Amino acid sequence: MEFDRSIIGREYDRADSEAVVAEELIAFAKAVGETAPCYTEDGPDLVGHPTFCLRYRGRKFFPDNLPKGLLGRMSFDAGKDLDLGVPIRPGDRIHVSSCVHDLYEKTGRSGSMSFVVVRFTLTNQSGEHVATIDNRMMYR
Amino acid sequence: MILDLHLHSERSDDSRAPVEAYMKILQRKRAERALDGIVLTEHRQFDPSRDFRDLEDRYGMVILNAAEIETDYGHMLVFGVNADILARFDFTDVRLPAQEVVTEISRLGGIALPCHPGRPNVGLCAHYESKSTLEGVVAVEALNGGSKKGEDARVAELIRERGYAAYGGSDAHLVSFVGMCATEFDREIRCMDDLVGELRAGKCRPVDFRQRRVA
Repeated sequence: MEFDRSIIGREYDRADSEAVVAEELIAFAKAVGETAPCYTEDGPDLVGHPTFCLRYRGRKFFPDNLPKGLLGRMSFDAGKDLDLGVPIRPGDRIHVSSCVHDLYEKTGRSGSMSFVVVRFTLTNQSGEHVATIDNRMMYR
Repeated sequence: MILDLHLHSERSDDSRAPVEAYMKILQRKRAERALDGIVLTEHRQFDPSRDFRDLEDRYGMVILNAAEIETDYGHMLVFGVNADILARFDFTDVRLPAQEVVTEISRLGGIALPCHPGRPNVGLCAHYESKSTLEGVVAVEALNGGSKKGEDARVAELIRERGYAAYGGSDAHLVSFVGMCATEFDREIRCMDDLVGELRAGKCRPVDFRQRRVA
């Protein structure tokens, strides 16, 4: 498959969240079975669980200009890589910038596969790096 | 001397194993898998700037850098990657011409050896069912730690038929799998030139550590 590699690294979407509230940080932490007080108890030390950042994405997951050969093919989530920065705290507003980070092909036991890595870069209202999330999608 | 000739670190898209983690496991499992070193064979890439001397000194092991590439005859491991080889072949291409790969890499100072040849789609055996024999293949991976049932037997038949030399590798993508299969050499291997020399001569044999457990 021919990929237009010029789309790699180019921002295709951005979005800003409402201010985070303590209740949603606590609810998420408890939902994933976390018990550590820093994630589950309201107060000045409360921070978001590390995987809370996964709820953030732009207004659309994929760009409009993905390689056309991928449309209509079977796909699944092939995993995510998280690079964490400062924790999310109550009152934070999260900014998400989306780009295609990588496009590649590989072959395996079951045949050829194409991979699209969509990167969400999260920053807070102070411009601090909150997380980089690489979403790996596999197409067959 | 025993080396695991085939494994992947976090540089490969489907592994999260830090190189030092492999060292720690081998240190801890020495009674079960008495290896002297590893060769990293990252998928579809080669970074000549990787420097493992610090880890080698700390753990007393050899750590060499190679690559696993994808061709029209399946996957191959490339040992002795140099600037000429990188200029000649785009390692990100998943349809590299296998005969050119084997011939040219040998001419340019390295060696390309089919890996997991018994594996469907990406193994040499599957391609030999419908394509002509590759010239210049010296050895194939007789033992691969990721092999499924029947794959090693297919490879044993291939080796008997074609007279290839045999080597072994774990194909580890997870830290705990390092060294499950490996390759034994009679002479000491201290650098990639040593390794390429022994492989070219076919002076190697696979070692299977998969069944060994120490209480």
